[in-house]
Amino acid sequence: MRGVPASRLAAVLVLLAVLCMGQSAAFASEIRIGEINPLTGKLANHGQEIHLGIQAAVDEANEAGGIEGRKVALLTRDDQSRPEVAVSQAEDLILRQKVAALVGGYVDSLVGPLSQLALRHEIPYVASASLQTHLTREGNNPYFFRISHLSGLVEPLCGFVTEALQARSAALLHAATPGATELSRELFKCLKKAGADLPLVEKFQPGTPDFSPFVLKLKASPPDVLLVAGFFQDHLILARQIRELGAPIKAYIGPWGVAYPSFVQEMGRAAEHLFGLSAWNPGMAVPGTEEASDAFTERFRRVYKKEPTTTVMHGYTSARVLLHAVGRVLREGRPLRGSEIARALRTIDLLLPMERVAFDTKGDPLHYRQVVVQIQDGALVPVYPPERAQGTWIYPMAPAASNP
Amino acid sequence: MWFQLLLNTLSLGSFYALVALGFSLIFGVTHTFNLAHGELIVLSGYMAYGLSKAWQAPFALTLPLCMAAMACLGQVLLALVRRIREPFELSSLVFTFGLALVIQNAMLFLFTADYRRIPASGKPLRLTADLIVTRNQLWLIGLSLAATALVYLMLRKTFLGMALRAVIQEREAARLAGIRVERMNRIAFAVGGALIGLAGPLFGQNAYLHPAGGMEATLIAVVITLFAGTGRIRGLLAGAWLLALLESAAALWLGSNWRELVSAGILIALLMWKPEGLLARKKPAPEL
Repeated sequence: MRGVPASRLAAVLVLLAVLCMGQSAAFASEIRIGEINPLTGKLANHGQEIHLGIQAAVDEANEAGGIEGRKVALLTRDDQSRPEVAVSQAEDLILRQKVAALVGGYVDSLVGPLSQLALRHEIPYVASASLQTHLTREGNNPYFFRISHLSGLVEPLCGFVTEALQARSAALLHAATPGATELSRELFKCLKKAGADLPLVEKFQPGTPDFSPFVLKLKASPPDVLLVAGFFQDHLILARQIRELGAPIKAYIGPWGVAYPSFVQEMGRAAEHLFGLSAWNPGMAVPGTEEASDAFTERFRRVYKKEPTTTVMHGYTSARVLLHAVGRVLREGRPLRGSEIARALRTIDLLLPMERVAFDTKGDPLHYRQVVVQIQDGALVPVYPPERAQGTWIYPMAPAASNP
Repeated sequence: MWFQLLLNTLSLGSFYALVALGFSLIFGVTHTFNLAHGELIVLSGYMAYGLSKAWQAPFALTLPLCMAAMACLGQVLLALVRRIREPFELSSLVFTFGLALVIQNAMLFLFTADYRRIPASGKPLRLTADLIVTRNQLWLIGLSLAATALVYLMLRKTFLGMALRAVIQEREAARLAGIRVERMNRIAFAVGGALIGLAGPLFGQNAYLHPAGGMEATLIAVVITLFAGTGRIRGLLAGAWLLALLESAAALWLGSNWRELVSAGILIALLMWKPEGLLARKKPAPEL
């Protein structure tokens, strides 16, 4: 057998060395951020929205010359809406790709395991959409931050039902998921405390194809308000069946999944007067950020040829916060280590179109508050709290027969 | 309230039956355990959605178009299934699972991850002060009865049906009796495909369309087929109505979260004590 000539072997080795050095140089010069989102599977619609928001923030930073002159490389991974895939993808990003931090995530069943992984590897993780209280309150995880939390939904929702609508009775229906169950429990406590009667509280498995038995119960003893902690697809079925079967409720409130232009588009007239929650929408920014909000909306529409939503803005906000913290570490001349980025995140105070972002000692946002919106003539109109309202609510909603 | 519950149950059961008909026929004749069944239904739903959005095609017109398209696609599926080696049942299960993932991702690419819904066919009709029937319910009940009757008559009253039933009952014996089993496979996939095509637009109108939404439809089809027994077309409709009644009753009296537990419990019990299907007669002992 003839051996490989030594000169050729040396040339190959030199080439490999040059490539490795080049890659190491690229690794050193760029800031590598890992993103994990449900891009396929059941949660793909919102996962892709969050991804676009994160991408928009990274593109914006790179177009402005990078962070302290260094380009940001976004490494995106799909968790397929499955927790075990989310963990393996995150491990790949941390161990093999050596990312400086993680961002993204939708629903607590996917975010929760990643928060523990972040703690184990001492890598900061800024979750785009997470609610469950125990994720931040139990134990001590200095590497986990999130830009949303449950009280940001419960407080405006409870205030709206009890103070604004002055509803005397409410029914609660929630999906059997951790976040929806906790939201329902907190709403129950809050409404009970306010003296509301709660004759009907039920949960359902996500993916239920028929809610008509529940609607019949609503018809038998109709509450003033129906609160549904379900998702976009659940509202598509339930809201339609309520309209069709003529359940005489005065208000239908879906904290998630209702306040979207795509929901209005799919439901048509049957979406009229339904209430939802939204942290941001085009034209509905935190006071003082209107200009930045409009600029983001205009740029997003132009670049991505889509309408930005509250979920897009959650992704954008989480990435902006993380990049801001990374920038601060670099400006202070500190090494870009997980502990340094986490320290910078803890002291952040940044006014963005969705919220003023500052974290408490547990990594929860201090100023996250959603706004109650109502679908009126196909538009999402903010109606509560008064300081963010752009219109008045219609209550009771139009009778079912007029909205097939 | 009780009449309304009965009507809703009837329509839900009809929905289940329509979803399961194509699966049951294909599984009965060809022994292909088609895990991509739900994805094909969703694909058919997307076709109807596209037709109604792009060309404002009326709902009634989307039905035959989707049926024809899916009958053709059924032949493509058969061509792929033919290449599967023994053990056929297990291999077809794995193959169609992979196919389901491929179709899901193709739909994600073509139709995005947004949830879609085919609009209702018109305003609900008030029959009495307490009884409302929607146009969707009328479509479901009418079409499930018509489809079940047609498939039943085909199986019971024609020579073709007799041959198909022979293949369902004993494949090898049918072959020995001179029945062209391959031809029966083609017919089963064509008719089954057309039934899938019929179910798709109704699925999109009564539930929703999403690339990952096929799994629910597949589960419904599997449960109803096992519930009724393979190849029992009338039993399929009766089984679907019965299951819908049990689920609705559980949701009404015990709570919405009991619905799935009821169907899961029935399925487990059935597999343990009556695996040939609740509505199937026991095969008589072979005569010597």
